[in-house]
Amino acid sequence: MRTAPTPSREETRANATFEALIWSMSRPGRLRDLPERGEAQIIEALIDRECHVFCADPLLMPKVLETGARIAALAGADHVFLGMLTDLDGLKSLSTGSDLYPDGGASVVIRARLGEGSRLRLTGPGIETEECIHIGGVPEGFWSLRRDLIQYPMGFDVFFIDGARVLGLPRSTKVEML
Amino acid sequence: MSVTPQSLKTLSRAWEPMSYGFLDASAKREMRRKMIKAVAVPGCQMPYASREVPMARGWGTGGLQVSLTLIRPNMRIKVIDQGADDSVNAASIRHFLARVSGAPTTLDTLQADLIQSRHRIPEEKLNEDQILVLQVPNPEPLRPVQPNMSVARQMHADADYGRMWLQLYEQIVRSGRVMQGASYPSMVNGRHVMTPSPIPRWDVPKLNMAQHLTILSAGREKRIFAVPPYTRVEPLVFDDVPYKVEEHHDLTCSRSGAKGFFMNEIPQEDGSSAYELSDSGFGVKHIQQGIGDAVTLGKTWYENGEMVE
Repeated sequence: MRTAPTPSREETRANATFEALIWSMSRPGRLRDLPERGEAQIIEALIDRECHVFCADPLLMPKVLETGARIAALAGADHVFLGMLTDLDGLKSLSTGSDLYPDGGASVVIRARLGEGSRLRLTGPGIETEECIHIGGVPEGFWSLRRDLIQYPMGFDVFFIDGARVLGLPRSTKVEML
Repeated sequence: MSVTPQSLKTLSRAWEPMSYGFLDASAKREMRRKMIKAVAVPGCQMPYASREVPMARGWGTGGLQVSLTLIRPNMRIKVIDQGADDSVNAASIRHFLARVSGAPTTLDTLQADLIQSRHRIPEEKLNEDQILVLQVPNPEPLRPVQPNMSVARQMHADADYGRMWLQLYEQIVRSGRVMQGASYPSMVNGRHVMTPSPIPRWDVPKLNMAQHLTILSAGREKRIFAVPPYTRVEPLVFDDVPYKVEEHHDLTCSRSGAKGFFMNEIPQEDGSSAYELSDSGFGVKHIQQGIGDAVTLGKTWYENGEMVE
């Protein structure tokens, strides 16, 4: 008799994390629960030696180093962990890929307060008509900077996380401040 | 917090006879990164490594790698090949997926969490929590007009689809209609033209503003692209020549009596044709219903042979 293979704990967590990430990236504006709190599980699910990572949060750095990823400056990073976003000056150099290879645009993880703060209206792929959400803890001017940086299909994709909740914001989504 | 000192023990994992879901962890991480990018730029072909799987390239390895990345022990899977659950290709992929993951399988579209398909989209509507994985032999819609793929990539970057339109125009001039039968080129999110994989024209409108996520993956060509839910997918058509699906609306399935769905034509000895539902799982449910079994037929994209708006 054959035994059914069982996933290890790491595999189960990475799989569930990715499922939450792809679900939220496919449905911008809708909240989804990650298996655990924080960015560590996202690092486990996505990052390895092939990645260039910029990490602004010193507490997260050991986790990134464990994966063997190369530590890069913001401009050269394909995965960016900003922690709590405080100032926007550096963000202008964020990698947005090229028209030839839009996949070169960075995946950015930002800690935010979901459900409070500025009210936004989202439209675009993944949204049937429109989604209205509140995202707080992001500096003033982030949304206009995002608009300026994204020249679709060039751009960057954001996961906002708040504890164990995640909200995906692909470059294809239009954001209006209300 | 400090960096944990590294030793062989911290750097290695506990021994396992096989990676869960066959693909090793690094292959899965690459798939995950690329799938996120594919969803973020709908319809845009993202290159990926396409690892070896125990199946020849061109037999669904692209779709298989997506399924293997998503699969978990309680994810119910359905695999179809040209609509049929019982073709050799579908049966062996389903067998393989179940064997390396322990996931349950089903033939019923409504029960499935993950549907891997070759060249058909089921007739019953997929819901928000289902994922459709389409196997793609040729991911490049521009190949008939531009065989050089570097140039084709530049054309995608420039949204330069003039030759695509010219090809359709020439077909209409020569033959009076668009000759493209399957893999009808479609504009996704108003920006990227993609091939929806060789699904019949009948199935293309099912992708437009659908509730489910569709991931299209070409293992041999090493490209992956996606159509997120609620995304516009518009077949390329001229204003004065409307898009036409196959004329199957008045055909009746000779085995189940169902009418108004996509059919397989079965030539008969006397030169005539009989028809049967191409979506075999759906056909079986119709037959079961006919003999009085309790089955649930889902909502369908087409009703009485017409696409429901």
